[in-house]
Amino acid sequence: MKLTLSVINLSLVFFSLIISSHESSSSLPSNSFLGIPPQDEEYFNGEIIKCKNGSKKFTKTQLNDDFCDCPDGTDEPACPGGKFYCKNVGHSPSLLYSSRVNDGICDCCDGSDEYDGKVKCPNTCIKAGKVAIESFKRKIEVYQEGIALRKQEIEQAKRAVARDKAELSGLEKEREVVGKLVNQLDELVRKLEQEHQENEDKMREAQNEKVENEKNGPEENADNQIEPMKTSDVEKRWQSGKSPSDQNEKDGDDSSEGLSREELGQLVASRWTGKVKEIDQAKNDQENGGQDAGYKESVADNASHQSWLNKIQETAQHFLNLFSAPVANLDANQIRKEYNDYTAKLSDIDSRISSLTGKFKHDFGKENEFYLFYDRCFELEQDKYVYEVCPFKDAKQKGGNSETLLGNWVEFGNSYRLMLFTDGHKCWNGPDRHLKVKLRCGLKTELTGMDEPSRCEYAALMYTPVLCLEEKVEEFKQKLESMNQVQEQEQRWGHDEL
Amino acid sequence: MKHLAFLFLFFLTSQTVHSWKKDEFRACDQTPFCKRARFRKPGSCTLIATDVSISDGDLTAKLIPIAEHDHDQDPIKPLTLSVSVYRDGIMRLKIDEDPSLDPPKKRFQVPDVIVPEFEGKKLWLQSASSEKLDGNTGGLISVVYLSDGYEAVLRHDPFEVYVREKAGKRRVVSLNSHRLFDFEQLRVKKEDEDWEERFRGHTDTRPYGPQSISFDVSFYESDFVYGIPEHATSFALKPTRGPGVEESEPYRLFNLDVFEYVHDSPFGIYGSIPFMVSHGKSGKSSGFFWLNAAEMQIDVLAKGWDAENGILMPTEQSRIDTFWMTEAGIVDTFFFVGPGPKDVVKQYMSVTGLPAMPQLFSTAYHQCRWNYRDEEDVENVDSKFDEHDIPYDVLWLDIEHTDGKRYFTWDKLLFPHPEEMQRKLAAKGRRMVTIVDPHIKRDDSFHLHKDASQRGYYVKDASGKDFDGWCWPGSSSYPDVLNPEIRSWWAEKFSYKNYIGSTPSLYIWNDMNEPSVFNGPEVTMPRDVLHLGGVEHRELHNAYGYYFHMATADGLVKRGDGKDRPFVLSRAFFAGSQRYGAVWTGDNSADWDHLRVSVPMILSLGLTGMSFSGADVGGFFGNPDPELLVRWYQLGAYYPFFRGHAHHDTKRREPWLFGERNTALMRDAIRIRYTLLPYFYTLFREANVSGVPVVRPLWMEFPSDEAAFSNDEAFMVGNSLLVQGIYETRAKHASVYLPGKESWYDLRTGTTYKGGKTHKLEVSEESIPAFQRAGTIVPRKDRLRRSSTQMMHDPFTLVIALNSSQEAEGELYLDDGKSFDFKHGAYIHRRFVFSNGHLTSSNMASSTLGNSKFSSDCVIERIILLGYTPGAKTALIEPGNQKAEIELGPLRFGGQHGGAAVTIRKPGVRVAEDWKIKVL
Repeated sequence: MKLTLSVINLSLVFFSLIISSHESSSSLPSNSFLGIPPQDEEYFNGEIIKCKNGSKKFTKTQLNDDFCDCPDGTDEPACPGGKFYCKNVGHSPSLLYSSRVNDGICDCCDGSDEYDGKVKCPNTCIKAGKVAIESFKRKIEVYQEGIALRKQEIEQAKRAVARDKAELSGLEKEREVVGKLVNQLDELVRKLEQEHQENEDKMREAQNEKVENEKNGPEENADNQIEPMKTSDVEKRWQSGKSPSDQNEKDGDDSSEGLSREELGQLVASRWTGKVKEIDQAKNDQENGGQDAGYKESVADNASHQSWLNKIQETAQHFLNLFSAPVANLDANQIRKEYNDYTAKLSDIDSRISSLTGKFKHDFGKENEFYLFYDRCFELEQDKYVYEVCPFKDAKQKGGNSETLLGNWVEFGNSYRLMLFTDGHKCWNGPDRHLKVKLRCGLKTELTGMDEPSRCEYAALMYTPVLCLEEKVEEFKQKLESMNQVQEQEQRWGHDEL
Repeated sequence: MKHLAFLFLFFLTSQTVHSWKKDEFRACDQTPFCKRARFRKPGSCTLIATDVSISDGDLTAKLIPIAEHDHDQDPIKPLTLSVSVYRDGIMRLKIDEDPSLDPPKKRFQVPDVIVPEFEGKKLWLQSASSEKLDGNTGGLISVVYLSDGYEAVLRHDPFEVYVREKAGKRRVVSLNSHRLFDFEQLRVKKEDEDWEERFRGHTDTRPYGPQSISFDVSFYESDFVYGIPEHATSFALKPTRGPGVEESEPYRLFNLDVFEYVHDSPFGIYGSIPFMVSHGKSGKSSGFFWLNAAEMQIDVLAKGWDAENGILMPTEQSRIDTFWMTEAGIVDTFFFVGPGPKDVVKQYMSVTGLPAMPQLFSTAYHQCRWNYRDEEDVENVDSKFDEHDIPYDVLWLDIEHTDGKRYFTWDKLLFPHPEEMQRKLAAKGRRMVTIVDPHIKRDDSFHLHKDASQRGYYVKDASGKDFDGWCWPGSSSYPDVLNPEIRSWWAEKFSYKNYIGSTPSLYIWNDMNEPSVFNGPEVTMPRDVLHLGGVEHRELHNAYGYYFHMATADGLVKRGDGKDRPFVLSRAFFAGSQRYGAVWTGDNSADWDHLRVSVPMILSLGLTGMSFSGADVGGFFGNPDPELLVRWYQLGAYYPFFRGHAHHDTKRREPWLFGERNTALMRDAIRIRYTLLPYFYTLFREANVSGVPVVRPLWMEFPSDEAAFSNDEAFMVGNSLLVQGIYETRAKHASVYLPGKESWYDLRTGTTYKGGKTHKLEVSEESIPAFQRAGTIVPRKDRLRRSSTQMMHDPFTLVIALNSSQEAEGELYLDDGKSFDFKHGAYIHRRFVFSNGHLTSSNMASSTLGNSKFSSDCVIERIILLGYTPGAKTALIEPGNQKAEIELGPLRFGGQHGGAAVTIRKPGVRVAEDWKIKVL
């Protein structure tokens, strides 16, 4: 852990060099090339050597003499600006910041960074190399398994795309038929209403004056009875002063007088924390969120679709026949009902069409590999919250009674290795919330970590087989091979020395 | 409805731009004692001194009114007055009600601020001489010896007290020269009287009625006055009223948790030190300290304010008059004669104590944020410092690390393994600091609350019940830390056994100790709340945070069996807080004005003893743009206390988050601090021994240089470095005044600049103006490390800046960096002198301290000579007659390109030994 974080790993190209210079990696470093990468040794071969930034020259005896001659550390891997090369035979070589050399902490697995004798660092390179190989092997295994899953996922996605496309074309046909029908019903209804209106007008003129007084009185009363009850409830709540919005109102007036002691405490605390406001906002958003559910209604599934379409066509025919009949003969109620039903149906169809068209507008990846993520949500319970990430839609944080929008879907980023959600709920004194979901190869699609590195800037990690790419495995295998070689070499050398 | 809610949000948001809620705090004219006092006219005091005598080594007298006036008022009872004299030029004046006349209540005297040693410095007066003023025509005065060259004077009629020079009789500091003295005596309430005071819905019952005190103090040979922190304003205190001055509020001393304080205001914020220093053209300084912890208001009066009152004052001396008002307590005042600025500071510190010697790690860089969320976050931030090769020493956890704001606990989900977390940091030589505030959650399942309430250790409300106020945890109570027994109980809570999850590498942060009470008047505790022995909160308010800081620091000492120096950062403070640890300037804001005002604030703190102070780097509220953040790191690297901190609504701002270039600039700024740690540590020791602050005003080093008197853009770090911040965006130039007659060397390039002159300098983003004064030697450690811990054995560099006579001198102090062994002699203190081409190192350590020894194998690897004519090739080292090469070497390492200078390569001499190096 420490190594990978604090050390700059070198490319494996230099492995052969290390092995050739293996003999000099003995525990007591007395050579002047200490901490200098093998490929740089040539640079330091002359009698007079230049500082790399060109500011100065130094002699060969000044190389690694524990005195910093160059301002950039050229002459001394242990000087500020310099880098110290650890051979780490048996594992990957590494370059350390000069600050790590002889600081009493073992950084390199071969211990070569602590050469002043104040601490003894065991050589753990072989062991570390083995561990690295093992974990690398596991990674390759996961990828290999993941690649198969990924293929399945893509197959399923293909089928789903085909199914959705078929549904869309079916719906479009249906829309044509039902649309026509609704138009006709509409005409019929209007016709009926016109006639009805004429009759009504005549009747009313006759009765108008008599009835007016009796009719208006009671209705008005009935209307008013509900209202005062509502207001008085609200007032009570306000007077008791327990609702958070009450506190906000008071703060808005910039008057803290008349607050209870607890309220005043909370109010003042909220200046630092902004908590009051968030409660308020979460509440608002809940109200907004409620409306969404109403729009969606399931449309009959594909199997019964065909027979249903036939039925409509029959009905349509039936009404066409009615058209020619005189208005008086029609069952007005029945027609109105049909009209309403079919209008509703039409709107369902429209809504489904628009949702499918909307879906197809998204970018699901080069092979539509993310197609099955649509309409799926991934949850993670962490600390006090449940996080819900719905790709192509939004991401939320749920806790207690409140729900906070972390962001709405924007797009994939970083060649489909990142999902981006922005424009979530605004933070008090801060930015709109947003979320970045990093995608990694894993055998299951799951959300595994949620973080808030800065206030209201969220970062999550998601594993999925979709990210297990074949080309990566080849790269990994090559790397593993070279790691193995290093280990084998080292073991052979070690044996020889014995 | 939604509309309304929206409007509302808008309103709140727009409010945060100017959020200082001025109306919530009492102005002087809303504060009856202040309003009354400010209305008084010079000459209205009619008290005279009678029964003047010497008793118990003091000059004592009674103060009585010259004539009965106003028969409607209560008769004025005599007050007792005593003048005492202490070694090194300190006069103490006490005035109180006469206890033998049975006042309704004993007036409060602030305990445990004056150090016990102080009484040992008392000079027992034997006699007083009587003189007549103005060649025997004026009033009678009694004169006593004060110190060599100074006398203390009590004038009888009208009563006046002052200090004067013996030769020439020139005055230094005087009290009641304008006869503004007023002492409201405690009395029994009359039936028709209403003593209650109401402010914004809060009622102060004021059961003891009016009891305020006010008086005028004059400083002679004075052009400016300084001190009386804490205010966010200029260092030289601007007049608050008088001719040609826009009348402002007086400087208020009342410890308050002010949300988003503004950068230029006499308004009271987190701490209070009623100590003022004056300085003038003569190069002389004097000081005045009033030991009183009640609310205080101080006017600085513009010249000519007293033109029409007919009071005769010595006219041949320049003078600044001030007016001091307090709500309660007694007159217990200290006059410091100086005459140098450093003398005044030393005199003040012989009363209130010397600054604690900090642990070495605490003088390095601290990384804080509200809040590092969990163990993973901590690990991540820690490793990022390493990844970017930026050193830091301490990682801080704010209130969210606790279980529901119950201090001494950990949030089990976020911090399940606190000990392991601390151990991981400690493995890299790093420490952790957690926050412990004084408000204790009123929760019966919380052991601390249960324990405190059962023992009756909480502050009581006016009706005698445990005071219940609102703070972070909600309903909270506050330990009565005025009481030594309760302080001792509190201190025990820091033992490893009691503070579960704490390890030896954990230190403490005391916040909110003004105390902050969210639902209290002015966001603090009501004044009629009761402490030990019926003391009202109004009488000790400004010292509450001090006692809390004291108890916490004592806790850390006890925890380590007296072997580990405590580190406790406090927000509130009072006179004497320097003995317990560091303070910072509270919740500042991320803007250029706050960067600018941090310098006068830190100078004021240093001048009044609080040497170990700093401002939040980056600004607590708001998001600094990268340029401001970089400039803040460049300046903050020279603050005595160097910590980055941020509010939880701000974006992350750790130094690596703003692109490679800015990372490099911030890294460079932090590294400068680390290379200078040996110098800073030496300065902290100087403060610990003499009270002279680490960061000082220019005039403290150049007392006669008038151009420096009101300069608070630049400051001195010790006597050797001068630093000036860049306080505006995209600055291309900066005007820097370099005081004195000698030259200055640019710290980065070595370029020489003349002293006594303002230089218009080109400014780059790479650094802020910083110079080494000719004639000084600064010790450095140039090898960079993860933290100060790993620098222990690294070799030193000495930077010798030669003056016009090719001479220089400096010091180096080192010890184990953590224990108290230095008190018994376990330290190394060297004096370096360069003259006649020879550099000598000699011992400065006192031989009387004890037998404890500190040894160091550290050597000096490099000696840089600034201002030395090149040409010499070798240096000869004695003893041993070894040779070292001399060549041109770099001035700095690892960072941006710097200059080159004559360098003695590898002298290899040990810091602990005597030696001499001759340049041949």
